[in-house]
Amino acid sequence: MANKIEQLSFLIVDDYGDMRGVLRNMLQSFGVTQIDSVANGREAIALIESKRYDVILCDYNLGDGRDGQQILEEIRARKLIGVSSIFVMITAENTRLMVMGAVEYEPDSYLTKPFTKDLLAQRLERLLNRKADLLEIENAIDHKEYDVANALLDKRIEENPRNVNEFIKLKADLCIKAGAYDQAEAIYSDVLVQREIAWARLGIGKAYFGNRRYDEAKMVFQGLLDGNERFMAAYDWLAKTELALDEPVRAQKVLETATAHSAKAIVRQRALGELALANHDEKVAEHAFSQAIHLGKYSIYKHPSIYANLAKAKATNVNGEMGLKVLRDLKKTFKGNKEADLYSSMTEAVLQEDMGNGERARSCMCNAHELYKELGTKAAPELALDMARSCSKMGEVERAQELLQQAVKNNHSDEAFLKQVGATLSDLGLSDDPNALIADIKKGIVRLNNRGVELAKVGKLDEAMLLFEEAVEGMPGNKVVNLNAARIFMLQMKKSGIVPKRIDQVREYLNRVRQMDSENRTLHKMERMLKQLLDGAKS
Amino acid sequence: MQFYDVLASLIHDMKNSLSMVVHTLEQLTDDPSFQYDKPEKVTALQNEAKRLNNNLIELLTLYKIENERISPTIEDVDVANFLEEVVAENHASAEANHIDLIYECDPDLYGYFDEGLVRGVMNNLVGNGLRYTHNKLRISAAEEDGFLVFRVEDNGAGFPKGMLATQSSLDLHRDIAEGRTQLGLYFATLIAEMHKNREQTGFIKLENGYKLPGGCFSVWLP
Repeated sequence: MANKIEQLSFLIVDDYGDMRGVLRNMLQSFGVTQIDSVANGREAIALIESKRYDVILCDYNLGDGRDGQQILEEIRARKLIGVSSIFVMITAENTRLMVMGAVEYEPDSYLTKPFTKDLLAQRLERLLNRKADLLEIENAIDHKEYDVANALLDKRIEENPRNVNEFIKLKADLCIKAGAYDQAEAIYSDVLVQREIAWARLGIGKAYFGNRRYDEAKMVFQGLLDGNERFMAAYDWLAKTELALDEPVRAQKVLETATAHSAKAIVRQRALGELALANHDEKVAEHAFSQAIHLGKYSIYKHPSIYANLAKAKATNVNGEMGLKVLRDLKKTFKGNKEADLYSSMTEAVLQEDMGNGERARSCMCNAHELYKELGTKAAPELALDMARSCSKMGEVERAQELLQQAVKNNHSDEAFLKQVGATLSDLGLSDDPNALIADIKKGIVRLNNRGVELAKVGKLDEAMLLFEEAVEGMPGNKVVNLNAARIFMLQMKKSGIVPKRIDQVREYLNRVRQMDSENRTLHKMERMLKQLLDGAKS
Repeated sequence: MQFYDVLASLIHDMKNSLSMVVHTLEQLTDDPSFQYDKPEKVTALQNEAKRLNNNLIELLTLYKIENERISPTIEDVDVANFLEEVVAENHASAEANHIDLIYECDPDLYGYFDEGLVRGVMNNLVGNGLRYTHNKLRISAAEEDGFLVFRVEDNGAGFPKGMLATQSSLDLHRDIAEGRTQLGLYFATLIAEMHKNREQTGFIKLENGYKLPGGCFSVWLP
């Protein structure tokens, strides 16, 4: 990117016409010529879809429609702007935590109104320098080349520049993402020996959590909140930790406190609603889901399950009719979305059954079964839990059991999800000892995986391939099995030559994993391996 | 919580209005074709708008400290850059008042503090300094005795004797109640005291004739 402000293209987003004029004047006085300005999120996103901007100056508070944070979330999540673009959030208040809470996407900078022309120029220059400094690393992270990013970071940390902490923080973040919790803990501890800093303290809590040292993690997050009761990220992590400690009621209380401080986070409202629903606290659930829907109208975090859950809560709190009304909203909001139709059908089945409309309920359930089958491996794991609940309600006990067992098989390494499966199993009275049931299934899969890997190690690749082909058929939604199958298939072809049909199979396995978890690191390794295999075959 | 929402939304609105006033004045004074025979009146308007804004921030922050029990979020801050921004924010009004505003700081200095809160304090101090100085205002930062020290000093008449003793926020709170002290002093003290590291707590100090002959207001952060 050119480092001269006047050569950059700018987008101004502010609902206040005079303010747009002021910002435009300021930019023009710096010599900037490429300036567009819009009044709301809808127009902003339409422009960003069609044109590339170097800098976006966006007011947080935009009246009706999306707010600044929701615009940022949408354009970053949909990758409408690259890592080299700069997003500046303009706010009326100077407390950052007020605006953000725990959010996945943060702007490059916050500017508090009013600011002078000189300050804007100064800030833009600093941001451009910072971008240039970090661009190589951010690019590597964006392309998921974590090894490259890590090497670059090590080099920069070695040079010990004055902003070395910025690189240390990025490195620790990467460690957490990669599951290298011990390394992350060591980095954060080093920082904390010198000085108490919030990001490092929070980081060490995450590292403890990752290493399943839940009691210590809890102390860290609690400590952060004792020091600052508006530290929103600490609430989210504390709730997660309480849940891991099998304290769902406490987890709910934590999120209730958090939402009382900052009601604006949709993701948190949804999490609170789900916790409350599982705890059979429908009053709190109804309020949380209503909030999530209200806030999420223009957000990428809008989701059909929030509507379905609100319908259930309303049916309990008020009556079935009110629940059905929410489902009608659901269908209207997500027209043509299969997943949404499924949520609607399976929830309606339950509501109709409770209202005594058995026939209507059965027809909804039939519909749900069909949609679920159609979604196949595209169905999110949580859907299986909701499906099982609906089946159980309709008396299809065997099918419910089957769904939950399959859910375990497909997600045998996801501890938090397995906890939910266990809770559902016992809630529905489908198992006397859900933990033992889950452990049994897990053991079987681990044994199978190990045997396949063992076979491959001693060179019996054909046998290993057959074993995984069968395993994948039985658990098409299991990430680890899909990845292992892809790997063994590729090893075999590397030795014995390419077979187009098997390449297609490998592609299918990797595709499934990508749909479930595009951030998965083994997936990226396997994708590179496939590319090498195909490149090798060409030459 | 509810009153806070009302307050925040009102302040948002007031800030939009203030932004307009400040920016429009800035545009007017920047415009070479703008001829007005009493430029000092425009400057006075600018000064007052700035002061109003600083007071608004002060009001909201104090409200939050008392009712929401906020605590500082300590982050690592590039101090030279931070001071540069404070100067940039106040440069235009210093110039309009014919005051020489300079800053001094080791470019490699990094500090640990809540940038938003301390920025509010610095803007206040600079705003006051611009009112009381003769023609110079110097802001600086340095590390001394394990503290990060921000100083805002001028070449005006200096602080009256009675103000020079070090005071805690408790004393000041009582003084405010009795109408004897400025809110700004209380605000700075409160925010300095919110910064704690290990056994040490931040504080402020008033003295005369540090580097410049006038008053010197320093904020000490552990």
